[in-house]
Amino acid sequence: MAKKNDLDLAPSKREKFGIGQGILAFLLLIFTLFCAMPVVLVFVAAFTDEKYITQHGFSFLPKQFSMVGFNSVLRYGQQLAQSYIVTIFITVFGTFLGLLVMSMFAYSISRRDFMLSKFLSVYLLIPMLFNGGMLAGYIVFTTYYHLKDSLWLLILPLCTSTMNVIILRTYIVNSIPAELMEAAKIDGAGEYRTFFQITLPLLKPSLAAVGFMMATAYWNDWQNALLYITTDAKKPLQLLLINIQKSIEFLLNNSNVPASARAAMGGTIPQYSATMATVVVVIAPIMVVYPFFQKYFIKGLTVGSVKG
Amino acid sequence: MKEFFRNTWKHRAHVIMALPVFLILFFIMYVPMAGLVMAFKKYDMTLGIWKSPWIGLENFKFLIASKATFINFTRNTILYYLLFTSVGTFLNVVLAIAIDQLMLKKMAKTMQTLMIIPVFISYAAVQFIVYAFISTDTGILNKSLGMGTRFYSTASLWPIILLIVKIWKDTGYGSVLYMSVLAGIDSSLYEAAEIDGANKWQQIWHITLPSLVPMVTVMLLLSVGNVMHSDTGLFYQVTRNNGRLYGTTQVIDSYVLNAIFKNSNFGFTAATSFFQSVVGLLLMLFSNWLVRKIEPENALF
Repeated sequence: MAKKNDLDLAPSKREKFGIGQGILAFLLLIFTLFCAMPVVLVFVAAFTDEKYITQHGFSFLPKQFSMVGFNSVLRYGQQLAQSYIVTIFITVFGTFLGLLVMSMFAYSISRRDFMLSKFLSVYLLIPMLFNGGMLAGYIVFTTYYHLKDSLWLLILPLCTSTMNVIILRTYIVNSIPAELMEAAKIDGAGEYRTFFQITLPLLKPSLAAVGFMMATAYWNDWQNALLYITTDAKKPLQLLLINIQKSIEFLLNNSNVPASARAAMGGTIPQYSATMATVVVVIAPIMVVYPFFQKYFIKGLTVGSVKG
Repeated sequence: MKEFFRNTWKHRAHVIMALPVFLILFFIMYVPMAGLVMAFKKYDMTLGIWKSPWIGLENFKFLIASKATFINFTRNTILYYLLFTSVGTFLNVVLAIAIDQLMLKKMAKTMQTLMIIPVFISYAAVQFIVYAFISTDTGILNKSLGMGTRFYSTASLWPIILLIVKIWKDTGYGSVLYMSVLAGIDSSLYEAAEIDGANKWQQIWHITLPSLVPMVTVMLLLSVGNVMHSDTGLFYQVTRNNGRLYGTTQVIDSYVLNAIFKNSNFGFTAATSFFQSVVGLLLMLFSNWLVRKIEPENALF
């Protein structure tokens, strides 16, 4: 299938920009604003004066700006830095591990005369049809594998997915000529060398798209962290966010919190601008990286049939 | 048989390359499947799943006994699935076509970039954004627009709130897959249609939409297996796990999550999990069978 590279694909270059196009552009603009404005609000609120929000509520155009929100983020200083390290580690390690093992698997089951590949395809498909659910997983992982509070439970459950293997295999079958790999073999390259030196480099667009989605899933995973992680040193950013919200709620709902605890928070509980500043700190890295990967989305994310 | 072994030996490199995923799936996905037998046991933490005594269908009687809870979260799960899938698929397709049709390519690309951003924000962060809009004391809707609604204690409003959040978060990215299909349509088809005098709407109706059908089918089929599963973050985080909203916001997954944290009611929860997994499987098999009857090409397996 021949595909054009990016979005310049409309069949309509030959028409004039008419009223229909004007309406279309306007509607799309409205939807874009709908998507973007909440994100803008996060950034604005992070720089808004805390007292201003308490009095006037959140606003896109506050009259008083301040850096207090970010200053109180620094109060979590060490924990924030630690959580950053944890999140970056599981994201980078998990993504690379996942891409490596999944592309090897995808390559194997796409070999034509490999008889076991039928069985492996079915084996891959079953978890998509049927799974043990959250409770069984929780009990097996904690009481049989004894992995409670282990970073492995943040890495392994997100490391492989049937869908991603299918995407990678579709790309191998459709976009990498089988002759190329056969030629390499005739030239004396072994299986592993063929895979690492011929297939893997050609798989790059698909790896970029799948890898970025995986990285986002790792970065944003809060559920496994909430279920399994208890030590502060192993808490990723998302769990830190949840903890911050919980501690604010606790302080607000319990008037009998000792004065010293309140004083430690700086008199008032920094709930608005500070949490928004934390949100900024958590989501900013993805937003910075994302535009570099966007071009691979359309090229690399073609889902083929699951049929073996 | 001999041939099979010879073939496998010949492909031993491929067997080794497939091994890591095989093992990860085995330990992460397959072993917990066996854990579903919990539904038929009186789970005792000190004995573990396998040694706990069998109690037959006792746990399922629980489901029937506390049917208010059970019916509520099952109904919510299914209705939200139907709502999100129908509205979501429709909007994804419309958005993909709209972006594809816009002639100002630079503008289309910039807008698409902005529309995709929300998908990258975790629900743990999204709940703060939602709070900024609807909180009683400081939310924009109440404070700046003066709506005066107590959103966090009005359960009836949450289907709409959650739908809006879902649309906001997923539509931009959801349309990307469909755009990859539109990118593959041979442009000579449109040129031929134009020569035959077809206008824009006719072209969309007769060329664009039919070419999207296989992808829509695949995506719907894939989602059917998840009818009983929900976007847990949406129901657990965005609602702040607020008990007053459970009537319209509790789904199976968020119920199970809460049960794990409360460390209680494992019998009931195990029965629920079992029900969830089995119904998901049956729906998936049924819909794939249905698709294969109508259009074998589009079936998943």
